[in-house]
Amino acid sequence: MQEQYLPSASNFDPDTLGHFGIFGGRYVPETLMPALLDLEKEYEKIRFDKDFWDEVHYYLKDYVGRPSPLYFAKNISDELGAKIYLKREDLNHTGAHKVNNVIAQGLMAKRLGMKKVIAETGAGQHGVATATICALLDLECEIFMGAKDVARQELNVFRMKLLGAKVNAVESGSRTLKDAMNDAIRHWVTNARDTFYIIGTVAGPHPYPMMVRDFQAIIGYEARAQILEKENRLPDHVIACIGGGSNAIGMFQHFIEDKEVECIGIEAGGHGIETDKHGCSLEKGRPGVLHGQMSYLLQDEDGQILEAHSISAGLDYPGIGPEHAFHKDNGTISYDHVTDDEAMDAFVWLSQKEGIIPAFESAHAIAHLKKMPNIKNKLVIVNVSGRGDKDMIQAQDILKDKFL
Amino acid sequence: MKKLVAYITSTYPEKSFSIDLALALGENGVDSIELGVPFSDPVADGPVIEKANHLALDSGFKFTDLLDISEAVAKKVDTLWMGYFNSFYQQNLDLLIPKASALGVSGLIIPDLPHEETHKYSELFSSNNVANISFVAPTDSNKRIKEVITDSTKFIYLVAYAGITGSGQSEDLQKIITDIREYTTTPTYVGFGVNAKTAKDKVKNVDGVIVGSAYIDILLKDSLSYTQKIEQCSALSLEIKSKINE
Repeated sequence: MQEQYLPSASNFDPDTLGHFGIFGGRYVPETLMPALLDLEKEYEKIRFDKDFWDEVHYYLKDYVGRPSPLYFAKNISDELGAKIYLKREDLNHTGAHKVNNVIAQGLMAKRLGMKKVIAETGAGQHGVATATICALLDLECEIFMGAKDVARQELNVFRMKLLGAKVNAVESGSRTLKDAMNDAIRHWVTNARDTFYIIGTVAGPHPYPMMVRDFQAIIGYEARAQILEKENRLPDHVIACIGGGSNAIGMFQHFIEDKEVECIGIEAGGHGIETDKHGCSLEKGRPGVLHGQMSYLLQDEDGQILEAHSISAGLDYPGIGPEHAFHKDNGTISYDHVTDDEAMDAFVWLSQKEGIIPAFESAHAIAHLKKMPNIKNKLVIVNVSGRGDKDMIQAQDILKDKFL
Repeated sequence: MKKLVAYITSTYPEKSFSIDLALALGENGVDSIELGVPFSDPVADGPVIEKANHLALDSGFKFTDLLDISEAVAKKVDTLWMGYFNSFYQQNLDLLIPKASALGVSGLIIPDLPHEETHKYSELFSSNNVANISFVAPTDSNKRIKEVITDSTKFIYLVAYAGITGSGQSEDLQKIITDIREYTTTPTYVGFGVNAKTAKDKVKNVDGVIVGSAYIDILLKDSLSYTQKIEQCSALSLEIKSKINE
């Protein structure tokens, strides 16, 4: 049995004001600053605190079902002539990696004496995870979700309501994750004194990017021990999809300092990066400020935020966590993209080859395997960040001609 | 005399209107004009100002329009720019602040640039004699107030309640005003939720008010002609100016 996970100080921790190089920071209205400073103080207290982590672990083990397996995907390995392992975050309770972070933040809300919790959600996975933990910990829960996402993720909306959460469909702007986050911030500014904002990814103002990374780094912590046990060596590549970037940074955290391991983050290529319909903030954006942080953003020449596009609601966001922006400039992580079509092919491929239906988001990471020119004989870990159940209605519509 | 600062969304409904409106307000009791820079994601603003922002963007607002309006207005009425940090950051502050100064713009109001993130720009602002307006929020402790207003110039923007612009909320600010006075002589103006009804109450023990949504409410009325909009905004200014000085 592996020793219980505890975050460790990293070479890539931000400075005291939350900066990863020029990125990160806290770009929020003054009204929120006291709440963020309190949160930072509280986080410093619990970051390495064994009692807090004992409680987190109790839930991660018996409620979520951790550790998640590292599965040797023999069939796709044979096809590619490589050794592919899948980190099965899709097997977590609620169906994705999101729950790792939410449990820890929910327990922090309790410690701070907050009874009300809010969260933004894109695909609905973070909303479902938050609603779940609020039910478990007896917290009042309000979810902000873009109206467009409410329509395409109907099942998740019902799940949240069933779990006792109030779901607000946000009608402004592009009516997706970006706008859900705007309204969550507005609600938070108004209720800063008694409301805990559970941010779902490694984005937002300090300390969220660092805190959420620490909460998700259990993925990489487990995967590293699992691969060493099974293969007795580190992988050549570790691949994860990136929207805000929490499953990726959580996976990469325990490989990033190993020179022999290449960490690869996959952005949503949408209709292709030569079009204006994609979610490639790193590849096609430039540094700017949105939602409390400096990071790469899709924006016009005046800094107006552009709409992102992805077939997967979870990657449909014009920004990215600031630590990823830093790693891009620093060269510590490689970034690439996969289009909607490539992701859909991989969605079918993994389903039919391995009997594992991945979330559309995770299908982007899977799809990259087929695009790697020198994959032969390589040892690769792919993070299957979530399961495809939530995408069934959309998949049925897109693939209806394929499976008559 | 207590001061009145008026926020208008630049180029809504069009550029020449913004110039006419700003100049008219300057002649009708407004001491300073806040030229709002329309932004796609104005998270400190309520639905009224957000709508004006989006309409201005839909009809093609560009940052250069702000410069044009400023050029026509700033030498005649005291003018500040109000916008989200990204709008200014993308212009390169090293170039923008001297430009603001040359146009006669006296300050910038950036609601998402708190004290912690302003340090690296303070020299740039002060050497160009452009104020970077400090915010104080009702959630701030006495200790934090001391910290955030140390280098305040021109005026302090006291946010009237925890929330977004134009909502009907109200909080007792007297303690926080006492705290501010303890550390600075910089004038303090209250903004958020100030209109003809609330102005007299909100200005209690401070030096001025900032009014935004109340003007934009008038600008958003489709039934009014441009002339009527300017007349109503001017009348509102005179009314508020007289109420805060009763």
